[in-house]
Amino acid sequence: MTVTKTLEEKVLNVKVEGRLDTATAPALEEELAEVMDEAEELVFDLEGLEYMSSAGLRILLATQKKMAQKGGMKVVNVNDVIKEIFDITGFSDILTIE
Amino acid sequence: MPKKTIKEMSELERRRHSLEAKTFHAVLMGSLILGVMSLILGLGLYVYSLGNQYINEAFELTKNAEGVIENVGDVRDICNETLDIYHSLSDEERAVQDDEYFARFDTVTKSEVYPRVIDFLLEYYASSDVNDIFIAMYDEETQALVYVADPDDKRPLRTGAWEAETAKEISQFLNSDGSTEIYNISYTDKYGWLCTTGVPIMNDDGSIASFILADVSLEELLHGMQSFTILYTIATVLTVLLLGFLLSRHIRKNMVEPINMIAEAAEAYVKDKKDGGTLSENHFKGLGIDTGDEIENLYFTLSDMEKDLNAYEEDLTKAIQEQQRIGTELDLAKRIQEDMLPTIFPPFPERKDFDVYASMIPAKEVGGDFYDYFLIDDDHLCIIMADVSGKGIPAALFMMASKILLKTTAMAIPEPGKILARVNNQICNNNSLEMFVTAWLGILELSTGKLTAANAGHEYPIIRQHGGRYELYRDRHGFVMGGMEGMEYKEYEVLLKPGSEVFLYTDGVTEAANEKNEQFGTKRLLESLNSGLAPELKGVLERVNDAVDVFVGDAPQFDDITMLCLYYAGADATDSSEEQREGRYMKEMTLEATVGNIPIVTDFINTELEALECPMKAQMQIDIAVDELFGNIAQYAYDPLTGPATVRVEVDDDPMAVIITFIDHGKPYDPLAGKEPDITLNAEDREVGGLGVFLVKKTMDEITYEYKNGQNILKIRKNMQEG
Repeated sequence: MTVTKTLEEKVLNVKVEGRLDTATAPALEEELAEVMDEAEELVFDLEGLEYMSSAGLRILLATQKKMAQKGGMKVVNVNDVIKEIFDITGFSDILTIE
Repeated sequence: MPKKTIKEMSELERRRHSLEAKTFHAVLMGSLILGVMSLILGLGLYVYSLGNQYINEAFELTKNAEGVIENVGDVRDICNETLDIYHSLSDEERAVQDDEYFARFDTVTKSEVYPRVIDFLLEYYASSDVNDIFIAMYDEETQALVYVADPDDKRPLRTGAWEAETAKEISQFLNSDGSTEIYNISYTDKYGWLCTTGVPIMNDDGSIASFILADVSLEELLHGMQSFTILYTIATVLTVLLLGFLLSRHIRKNMVEPINMIAEAAEAYVKDKKDGGTLSENHFKGLGIDTGDEIENLYFTLSDMEKDLNAYEEDLTKAIQEQQRIGTELDLAKRIQEDMLPTIFPPFPERKDFDVYASMIPAKEVGGDFYDYFLIDDDHLCIIMADVSGKGIPAALFMMASKILLKTTAMAIPEPGKILARVNNQICNNNSLEMFVTAWLGILELSTGKLTAANAGHEYPIIRQHGGRYELYRDRHGFVMGGMEGMEYKEYEVLLKPGSEVFLYTDGVTEAANEKNEQFGTKRLLESLNSGLAPELKGVLERVNDAVDVFVGDAPQFDDITMLCLYYAGADATDSSEEQREGRYMKEMTLEATVGNIPIVTDFINTELEALECPMKAQMQIDIAVDELFGNIAQYAYDPLTGPATVRVEVDDDPMAVIITFIDHGKPYDPLAGKEPDITLNAEDREVGGLGVFLVKKTMDEITYEYKNGQNILKIRKNMQEG
C-alpha cells in the first residue's frame, strides 16, 4: 500500500493505492494522524486501491466521524470491487461518494 | 484382348497351345514348304527329262524318215512342183481351198512318186508314235505353210492345202540345216499340246525344198505330270502326317508329359505346403523322369530343391515354435513380475493413520523396477522403491529375488541400514552376471511419524512436510546393492508431521526423455508435484504422470515409470484424513499467527487459487476473508500473546469450490455468534467492530465454526462458479 497526501488550502487529498488490509491499515492511520489537525476538508482518492478489508473500513468510518465536525469528507474514484464492499457494509449510505 | 497365360486357359486351349501341337504344326508347315518346293523341282526335272526324250525321239523319227524317203523317189520334185503351182495361183484362186483349188495340184498327185510318198508316210505313221507326219513347205511370200503330203488318217490334208503361219514361228526351221534338233511346242484345240519337229529336204543347190515334219503329242507327258503330282502330293501328305504324328508323339512323351508331371508335382507341392501337409512326402522324387536331357536335369534339381526346402522348413518351423514358446514365456514372466507389485488401493483400508498409492507404467520390454510396502507390525510400515539394472528376463529374475530378499530381511530385522547391508551381501554372493539394484528403504513408525530410511544408490526421496511444499530430501547415498560385498548403509531419520507425504520414484520418471532427448529431471518433477492441489493421493501420481506425458510427447517410453506416494495422517488421525480418502485433498500451513504473517498466508492461498484458475473477483474476496479471519486470530486468539494457527486449503469438485479452514487453539471464540452490525445506522452511531466477519459472511458461500479438541475451527467455502 502507498499513501500520497497533498494539503491545499486546508483541503487534504489522500491517495491510497494497493491493498488496504489489517496489515497495512495502521500505516494509513498514522499518515492521517499527522495531518488531520491541519485539514478542514478531506478527499480520499481510491483509484489505485485493489481491495479493502474491514480494517480500512474502520479507518474510513473513524475519519468520517472526525471530519463531520469540520468541513466534511468525501471519497472519489471508487472502483467496482471497493464499491461492492461499500454496498455490502452499508458504507455507501454513510460516505459521500463521488 | 490381352494374351491369356497358360493358367487361365481351358483344357482345350491348353492342348491347342501345347508343345505337342506346336511341334505338329511346325512339322506340318515345314513339310508343306518342303513338299511344294520338291514337287516343283520334281516336276521340272520330270518335264525336262521326259520332254527332251520325246523331242529327241520325234526328231530322230523325222530325221530317219527324211533319210528313208530318198529311197522312195525324188520327193524334191513333187515339193518343188507343188510350190510352183502354188506360186502360179493368184490370191483369189488360193483363197478358197475347195476341190477346184486342189484340182490344180493334180499334176503332183497324179505323179508316179506321190502315191509312194503317201504310202511311205502312212506306213511310217502306223509304225511310230507320232501324231502326224507330213511334208510341207513354208512360203515366205504369202506367209503360209503349204502342205505337200499329209496322209495321216486323223486329219489328212490334201496337196496344196495351206495354213497361215507367221515367219517368227517357222524361222528356226528355215534356218536349219537338219543337223540340230528343231522343235516347236504349241497348243492346238484339237490335239492339245503338240511338239513339232522338222527336218529339211534340201535341193541340190542347197536351198530347202521342203520339210518333213512330225507332230508328237505331249498329252501323255502331261498326263504323266498330273499323276506324278497327285502321287507325289499323296505321298508327301502321308509322310508329313506320319512324321508329324511321330514327332509330336515323341515330343509328348519326352517333353510335354515330363514337364506336365513336374508342373503337377509343383502344384501339389505348393498345395500341400499351404494345407500344412507332411514334410516327408516327396512330390518330385517319385516322378522317375529319365529323358536324359535338360528336363531330367530340371527334375533332379527340383527333387533336390524339395529335399532342401523340406529340411529348411523343418528347421524353420522348429525355430518359430521355439520363438513362440519364448515369446509366451516372456509374456508370462512379465505378468508374474507385474503381479508381484501390489496394486490394490487403498492397501490398508482399515488404517486411518496412513495411506499409500503406487503405480508402475511398464515399458515395452520387461524391466526391473519395483516397489513394495508392508506392515512389519502394527506400528511399523516398510516402504521400498527399487530399480534393477538392465532389462528383460535377467532383470525380472533379479528383481524377484531382490524383492523377496528385501521383504524377508525387513520382516526379520526392521532396521533399514542393516536390511540393505544384508541383502547386498546375499546378492553379491550369487551374482555372476554382476547385476545390481538400487533401492530406497524406509520404515515409518506410525505412532510417532519417525521415518528411518537408508538409500542404496537410489534417487533422492521427495518429502512434503505438513503444510509445506514438496522438496527433494538429499539423503546420503550408499553404494548400489550387488556391486560390492560388505558395504554399509547409513541410516537416517526424518520426523514426519501428521499430514506429510513421502514421494518415491525411479529414474524412469526423471530420465523420461522427449524427442529432443532432454530429460524430465528432478526440477520438473518438483514443479509438477507443487503445481496444485490434487483431490486425492492418486491424483499426486497422476499429476506427475500427466506432466511426464506432456513433456515426453511422442517420444517412445524406454523405461518403466514407477512412483509411490505415502501419506502420513498422524497417529490420532482426524476426519481430515477420512475426507481425503473420500476424494478431497488439501494443503495446509501452520505458522505463528501475527498480522505480519498475513501476506505469507495470502501468498500461500493465492498460489493454490491460481493453480485452480480461480476468478479474479472470487480471489479478491477470498483474500479479504483471509485478511479478516487470520487477522482476527492474530489480534485476539492468543491476546495478549501470539500462538500458532493452521490454514488449510481444500478443493471440492462438486461444485468446484475452495474450502479454507483456519484453526487455532487460542481462546474459544465464535465469530458467528456476535451480533451483526446494523448497517442502516448513520455514521455517528455506527460501531467499528464486527464489520470484518460481516463482510466475510456476505462474500463467502458458506461459513461454519466449531470448537473441538481445544481448537477454534473456522471454515469458509467459496464456489468457483459465479452466481
